[in-house]
Amino acid sequence: MRRYITQADKFLPAHGLAACLVDLACQRQVNQHKLLRGTGIFREDLLRPDCYLSLSQLMRLLSQFQRLMPGHDSAFQLGHRLFPDFSAEANAIRYSSHLSQALRLLTRFRLQLAPLLFAYRYRHKGFSYLLLSDAVGMDSRQYQFVVELYCCLLVSASRHLLGQRMPFWFEFPFSRPRHIQEYEEHLGLRLAFDRPAMAIRFEEKWLSQPLPQASALRQQLALQQIQASRVVRYTLVEAVSGCLRRQRHGGLQEVADRLEMSPATLKRRLKEHNLRFSQLQDRVNMQEALYLLTVQGLNNGEVAEKLSFNDVPNFRRACKRWTGLTPSELRALSPGC
Amino acid sequence: MFCVVILIEHRLLGNIMNFSLLRLHPQMLLVSGFAIALAIVLSFSIGDLKHSHQIEWLDVVGEGGIVLLTILWQLFLLISRPSGRVTTLLTIGLCCFMFSSLLDALDEFIHYPEQAWLPLFESVPAPFGMILMTWGLYQWHQEMLTLNAQLRRREADVREHGRVDLVTRLYRADYMREQINQLLNKRNTNFCVALVDIDQFDAFNRRFGHPEGDRLLREIAELILMNVRQSDLVCRYAGDRFILLMPDLPLKRARQQVQQIASAVKHLAFKTGNQAVFHTLTTAVAAAQENESCASLLLRVNQRLEQDKQYSGEKQRAPLYHAGR
Repeated sequence: MRRYITQADKFLPAHGLAACLVDLACQRQVNQHKLLRGTGIFREDLLRPDCYLSLSQLMRLLSQFQRLMPGHDSAFQLGHRLFPDFSAEANAIRYSSHLSQALRLLTRFRLQLAPLLFAYRYRHKGFSYLLLSDAVGMDSRQYQFVVELYCCLLVSASRHLLGQRMPFWFEFPFSRPRHIQEYEEHLGLRLAFDRPAMAIRFEEKWLSQPLPQASALRQQLALQQIQASRVVRYTLVEAVSGCLRRQRHGGLQEVADRLEMSPATLKRRLKEHNLRFSQLQDRVNMQEALYLLTVQGLNNGEVAEKLSFNDVPNFRRACKRWTGLTPSELRALSPGC
Repeated sequence: MFCVVILIEHRLLGNIMNFSLLRLHPQMLLVSGFAIALAIVLSFSIGDLKHSHQIEWLDVVGEGGIVLLTILWQLFLLISRPSGRVTTLLTIGLCCFMFSSLLDALDEFIHYPEQAWLPLFESVPAPFGMILMTWGLYQWHQEMLTLNAQLRRREADVREHGRVDLVTRLYRADYMREQINQLLNKRNTNFCVALVDIDQFDAFNRRFGHPEGDRLLREIAELILMNVRQSDLVCRYAGDRFILLMPDLPLKRARQQVQQIASAVKHLAFKTGNQAVFHTLTTAVAAAQENESCASLLLRVNQRLEQDKQYSGEKQRAPLYHAGR
């Protein structure tokens, strides 16, 4: 079985994001031919239940959508509309008994439900920290759009499941946007901008709260409908990041071996995502360092040791290169400020 | 020819321009086509074609350009306005002007015999058309005053059509921010700002669909407009949140006014299909303070709104309340 998908593999169900996006564009009177031009997607395709798209198709559709939609709120509108759709995966999540179960299922079906970002979850003293990373290799404009989309999806879906508002703290890696009102309205007021990484924080007590719509039987039915063959879990970027997390300071050769391809192929495939191997290495290390410094509050020596740096000055230099800030400046950014 | 121009335009520009108003003007299109045909028939019936070496191409480009642009102006006029007196006056005025300039352009190609009466046609319709257009523009001015009065409470003294929200036809938050900044820059802090947010809009959308949600937003926007003073300004903030600017109003009175809006919305029996669905608002009002920036003022109102939402969230959550017909 394949463990990851590349740009051209057709694995993403079209009835999710793509259909929702075309629908919203139609409601806002966007010309459909312009929206679908060059994507290789036809309207009839979206009506078929077994239509699958590739990452590059979806990204092209998304950037055309971004260009054609009037106003600043289209990402948030999509975020509200995406969950629950009528897929078996979404249903399985919908009938979960607790949010923690819903999160577990989301991790399992992430590629079907939220293919463009992936999260790594840290837990510390009653709080969960989701560090989000780009799973495709997007430019900064697309990335901001997708971050808005999925943050809003998280807020909207958790509210739908819990039946009440659950507080989230958001940290964004970009500067305060001009359309800040959309963030305030859809995500709440706990926002911080210009942070080194995209992070979401919430209290763990919410995870164990029983959900009003829970139904074990319906959930089982939904799970049975999901085709086992279609459950691929990672994009290539995510697979590489996962390998790097497991073996810190693993080089190109080790990762390529694990993914059963030659280093040259791995480099070429990453290039299709506009990414270099070293960028991914840096991102994984930066996220880990950020967590250890700001959440756990470890000192430079301890973090350098955990990340297997030879000495502290080396670690300081790396930190400066990743984020533009020194470790002590980073520590001052502890969450909740 | 005119039709051909229109067809070409339709093909090329159909995507960026909206031609739906054009079908309201069959008579105006006829008049315009008739003027063109008349000019061509007249000049060819009287004169003979010049030899190609006699033609001054620079004049042809200049005068022909004027004709084409006049036709284009007519087209813009007809696709942007419903029919009526102003439209008729402006179109006929432009037609007369076009008729003269077309004759003028054609005589570059055509040689007329001595003592022909055609030059009369070249010079008389143009000033006549200009007079008609001037009268039309005066009427247009009157019309705009009427329309401005209709737009009160939706628009301050700046018009920027690119900033209008397509769902509610109100201006968006950036327009409001600019208005607030203008007041603050003039050191005028004698105004209040309010936010109103529809409760459980999310649940409504899920249950009745987003097109119905959009319609609800439009209706509530109208209701808010009906309940504010002539000098107030209402914009859409984001999502289901509206923002109100109330100049020269003390906080207490502003609160009253917002309360009136809330009670008006409470009594709105919004119909989806055969059902009536009722809604409540969460509101927050704040008065501007000395030396305060627009951002901090908005943050203050937003925080207050968020607190209220939190409070109402802790109360027993009222399910969407609806009644049969």
